[in-house]
Amino acid sequence: MDLKAKVAGLQDFYLISLYSITRAFRRPYYTKEIIEQMDYAGAGSFLIVLLVSLFIGMALSLQLSAELSALGLKMYTGRVVGLSIIKEIGPVAIALSFTGRVGAGIASELGSMQLGHQVDILRVHGVDPVKKLVVPRVISAVVMLPVLTIIGDAVSLFGGYYIAVFISHQSGAFYWGQIREIMGFETMTTGTIKPFIFGYLISCISCYTGLSTRGGAIGLRRSTTTAVVFSIIIIIVTDFVLTRVLLYAFGMSV
Amino acid sequence: MIEFQDVKLAYSDNVVLDGLNFRASFHEKVAILGGSGMGKTTILKLLLGLTAPDEGRILIEGQDIAEMTPEELRIARMKFSIVFQEGALFDSLNVKENIAFALREYSDYSEDEIDRRVREIAGRLGIEHALYLKPEELSGGMQRRVAIGRSLAAGNPMMMLYDEPTTGLDPLTAANICNLINELSRGDPPQRMGLIAVTHKVTDAVKIAERFIYLKDNIVFDGNIKELVNTSNAELKDFISELFIRESYNFSH
Repeated sequence: MDLKAKVAGLQDFYLISLYSITRAFRRPYYTKEIIEQMDYAGAGSFLIVLLVSLFIGMALSLQLSAELSALGLKMYTGRVVGLSIIKEIGPVAIALSFTGRVGAGIASELGSMQLGHQVDILRVHGVDPVKKLVVPRVISAVVMLPVLTIIGDAVSLFGGYYIAVFISHQSGAFYWGQIREIMGFETMTTGTIKPFIFGYLISCISCYTGLSTRGGAIGLRRSTTTAVVFSIIIIIVTDFVLTRVLLYAFGMSV
Repeated sequence: MIEFQDVKLAYSDNVVLDGLNFRASFHEKVAILGGSGMGKTTILKLLLGLTAPDEGRILIEGQDIAEMTPEELRIARMKFSIVFQEGALFDSLNVKENIAFALREYSDYSEDEIDRRVREIAGRLGIEHALYLKPEELSGGMQRRVAIGRSLAAGNPMMMLYDEPTTGLDPLTAANICNLINELSRGDPPQRMGLIAVTHKVTDAVKIAERFIYLKDNIVFDGNIKELVNTSNAELKDFISELFIRESYNFSH
């Protein structure tokens, strides 16, 4: 691919990302499509988020209990598990799971529609593909990923609680007491802003790669892989940037 | 009138169209012939503004589509209706919903009126028994019929565009689709609805078209059926040899 095509592709990505916001407020509103996408992205991802979160919480609690125990700080397991899960691991791990399931699904579905000329049919019939296809998926992702993250965080904390109390023999009341202590505005804001932005990025990247699919089955494989790989990289890089910005915004020194 | 003026298009290093010049009126019945990868489908997509040329102009009734506003382009597209290869039906919608798609998107018809119109079109195409089936449950021929039905429901196009309308169909079903295409474009110009069909199946092309264009990077041949069968171009002769083998057309017409 030459430089001109790459620049044009980047421009198309920016335009799709921009239009997914600006056109969301213009008629017609595709309410049925939004609900369908929310069901697919949210309810459909619930079980995977539940499993991933439970085992992340348990593994983290197990590891930290062992490490903190060696330092004589085992009682802080709840605090460290809570901060790690809510601020960092929860949003990132659930966003990565979301990418694998929903991002790949969006890219392959839109890619298949592109190759099958269904996107062309929309345009021929005067229907804006961004409004009909992209906007519902972006809205669904920015609403459902934070919801899934909150649920996942809660499940992770319960997983951590199970290990801390029943394996590491700590006090359950002390564990939850420490969790309550860290549940301030800063922690909650950090934990909910991230999935909101990750949801937007995953859906825009997946929609763009899907709609720019060319070249049959191999092209479809390429666009699905690209959607997942780019989303993973962008999530991790954005997480770092957001962490830096939020620490600065909340006046926390490093 | 539609007009291609010196249109060039390449995908990376692959030149698809190299200075295409072509004019057709809305009531003409044109078949664009050529092998795979010769840019036949691309011509239809260029005409509808779905793909932009690298160079050259495409005019619809004298207006360059590159200079049209989105609303002007939408109106220009309404003059055409396209049936893609395989039908390009929406998988998540049943036959009735596919046909009603355009009516639901941009008309104020009540559900009763949409239902009446869909049943009328389905009856005309012989698919009224399949209204509640999903595209995956339909045969290839039925899918093309539904796609044609969806195109007809969108309005009253001046010209139908068919992308490989009979490819992948058995001879009997292909013949039925050709009959249907002829039925839709029956009558004499300028009242009738014209068509452009891009196909590599020359035996079907001669059943539905009156003007034939053979494409290879550019137009190699442009003429009627008599000129086509008497062509001196060796490559085109080879391409249309199927006609002589099958003797499926009466050339004296």
